[in-house]
Amino acid sequence: MSGTIEGFGLGLRTEHYRDFVAAPQAVDWLEVISENYLVEGGKPLHFLDRIRRDYPMVMHGVSLSIGSVDALDAGYLRQIKALADRIEPAWVSDHLCWTGAGSLNLHDLLPLPYTEATLRHLVPRVAQVQDILGRPLVLENVSSYVAFRADEMSEWEFIRELVTRTACELLLDVNNVYVSSVNHGFDAQHFIDALPPAAVRQIHLAGHEDHGRYLVDTHDQPVCEAVWKLYVDTVRRLGHVPTMIERDDHIPPLPELISELDVARSLARRALDDTRHAA
Amino acid sequence: MSALGELQQRFQRAVLSENPAPGLFVAEGTQPVGGFDLYLQAYRARLAAALRDNFPVLHRALGDDAFATLARSYIDLHPSHFRSIRWFGDALPGFLADAPERVPHPALVDLARMDWAMRAAFDAADAIPLSFGDLASLQPDDWPGQHFVPVRSLQVLDLSWSIEPIWKALNDAADAATDEPQALPHALLIWRPALDCCWRSAEAGEAAALRALSRGASFADWCTVIAAAGDPQPAMTAATLLRRWLDEGLLAKAETPA
Repeated sequence: MSGTIEGFGLGLRTEHYRDFVAAPQAVDWLEVISENYLVEGGKPLHFLDRIRRDYPMVMHGVSLSIGSVDALDAGYLRQIKALADRIEPAWVSDHLCWTGAGSLNLHDLLPLPYTEATLRHLVPRVAQVQDILGRPLVLENVSSYVAFRADEMSEWEFIRELVTRTACELLLDVNNVYVSSVNHGFDAQHFIDALPPAAVRQIHLAGHEDHGRYLVDTHDQPVCEAVWKLYVDTVRRLGHVPTMIERDDHIPPLPELISELDVARSLARRALDDTRHAA
Repeated sequence: MSALGELQQRFQRAVLSENPAPGLFVAEGTQPVGGFDLYLQAYRARLAAALRDNFPVLHRALGDDAFATLARSYIDLHPSHFRSIRWFGDALPGFLADAPERVPHPALVDLARMDWAMRAAFDAADAIPLSFGDLASLQPDDWPGQHFVPVRSLQVLDLSWSIEPIWKALNDAADAATDEPQALPHALLIWRPALDCCWRSAEAGEAAALRALSRGASFADWCTVIAAAGDPQPAMTAATLLRRWLDEGLLAKAETPA
């Protein structure tokens, strides 16, 4: 059941465990936060196994720290592999970022400088992870609030080059592109157009906080109009890619998230129809 | 050190020390409002939220402001080395025990220990509880050498204060009125027979027996410990405890090697 995933999904959250157990939900697949299940037993693994029986899953990690200068954590990778063996996800993702150095973890998705040296640092690490997991690593673009003086290329050029050199795949967070585009003043559509279409395995949609002159990626509210528009343009460019709503805080009742997912379904259908008619 | 390593060290030092890292970012003056400050704020906010999750009753007992102050000092002295934020706060009970003046009442140290132990039991390894039926096949000769093993989620805490009524009241309702706890050295048992965690206080002898079983003591060893404590009927006492533990799902069925 680890094969291909199609359609529209949600991030599995503890608040919705019982909804998923009680009745079938209009959700095609679920994304689970890997770290939440790197435990020995109890309710997390009980509900994970129970819900996995009814829904295909993908795994999404937050602390691989692929860009850190620290050595990759072999124990953590063994745990990720064991969890993947347990639930047979369609793919395993994490973030294109670093989360700490010197064995510390800041528990944040920190931006990398977009340089040739960073690419050279990342390439063998991505290969190592892919070897251990026995599958392509799927990496997500993160929102950022600073740009480094050291940058030698744009974020999209950096991502494109990383895909070319490692054959990793991409989790395109459309909200994160939008947040960073406002914060750094680039064209969000240009970012998405520059990505290698075949590498995009999954799409995240989420909400953010608007502070007027800048946006903060909070994933705690509904998707905004500008991100919906960018999503439609993304579907026109990439075709259908498995898409999910990612809500990390202020988790609403499940029907509310499913309604939001229905918006994604409807917009994607319309965008694909437009594309077909234009062809 | 590589340029990337230096950049990460400077960035991280700046977050931990709350001092901006000059020269690291493009023209700071033209950065969006927020910029690096957002990383500073998010770091402490995220770790404080993890502490609130892991110490929910201590949080309620202290209130938002006092808990935030405590969290702040803990975060600064104990940055996270964990892959998963779920484990952040492991040293908080010890942090309070080392300097009880960090909280307004010393009983709050025990409250923190109970919170953390409940959290640990929540996702500890599963076990199949031992049942009365499992004992039916034991022959009389088997009993002296029989090893009864507590479920792996079991923790035996030595507490100095009677905090369980306060823990229960605040766990049930954030605004519960509570009496001042009394000094009362005793043991607290916390375990998880199935999906939900259980707890109760225990006499010193029972706590010692469970600790002995956890270390691999046999039924005969265990009776010897009870007899040494002056109990005239050690086998009877052991049988009474055994019955209670079976009822409570405190003992695990032996794991068969894979």
